[in-house]
Amino acid sequence: MALRAFLLLPVLALAACETLPKDAFRLSESALETRAMQTREYTDVSDTAILSASTAVLQDMGYAIDEIEQPLGVLSASKRADATTGIKAFGSLARDGVRCIFTFLQACDGKHYSKLDDVQEIRLTLVSRPQLENEDDVAVRITIQRVIWDKKGRLSEQQTITDSEVYAAFFEKMSKAVFLEQEGV
Amino acid sequence: MNIRWVFSLSLFFLAACASPNVAITDGGSQVQIRQIQTREYDTLNKRDTMRSVLATLQDLGFVIDNADYDLATISATKLQDYQIRMTVTVRERESKRLAVRASARFNQDPIEDPLAYQDFFAALDKAIFLTLHQVD
Repeated sequence: MALRAFLLLPVLALAACETLPKDAFRLSESALETRAMQTREYTDVSDTAILSASTAVLQDMGYAIDEIEQPLGVLSASKRADATTGIKAFGSLARDGVRCIFTFLQACDGKHYSKLDDVQEIRLTLVSRPQLENEDDVAVRITIQRVIWDKKGRLSEQQTITDSEVYAAFFEKMSKAVFLEQEGV
Repeated sequence: MNIRWVFSLSLFFLAACASPNVAITDGGSQVQIRQIQTREYDTLNKRDTMRSVLATLQDLGFVIDNADYDLATISATKLQDYQIRMTVTVRERESKRLAVRASARFNQDPIEDPLAYQDFFAALDKAIFLTLHQVD
């Protein structure tokens, strides 16, 4: 038993100093596809108009603007939002209830419910980039990340959003806003 | 007796990756670190170089925390199962050359592996190429 602990502990201790994954700074094979998914081009519009339209869209969606650097066309924004899903919450409550009853009220600490995702912080960066040849053709690219915490405030997940539908939905709103900006509404 | 052994041994192994006060000013030779973290470019101007850096960071899944054109500094964060915080600066050198320096931390530790920076600059080379050839 002691020998096993001997062998296990160093392994655990070493695991505490995690190493940098080899691909952390490498372009993935799908990098160009991802870039295309995250990018839309707008013609006959200045990059200032793009930034104004983006700010309006982000405000519509409840984001707060954290950073704008106009000469570089950079805009970063974030919002906190609910991360619970109804079905999961119901499932966890049901499991907690069953557990509580079957342990004769000994385990009623809501173990499953407390592990549920509770709050998420969404952060996004939008970069508007005029083309070298024609400054009125602007490529807009967004990248989105989120951090999710569970009901007890523990970090549950942190990830970069890769779902193409999310980007498509964003650009749909964006296109309308750019149109309104061009029309001066 | 056994427990004491296990305890001290685990402390020993923990010490291998823990650096309490040393962390404030530690790091390898300054010159060496700068060399690893810096590349010089003369293909694009400052603005388009910075735009290429932004594109590279986005390619690698970073979100931009901060960008300042005048001071030519960009900070960004990547969230995966881990966290990487990175700062990239662009400095103008003589005869239109630009020095791009990237420094990054992985979770709590500085990244000093030359290979990581090689990968980053390889990605930046590609972004600069794409900027020059108008592919987005």
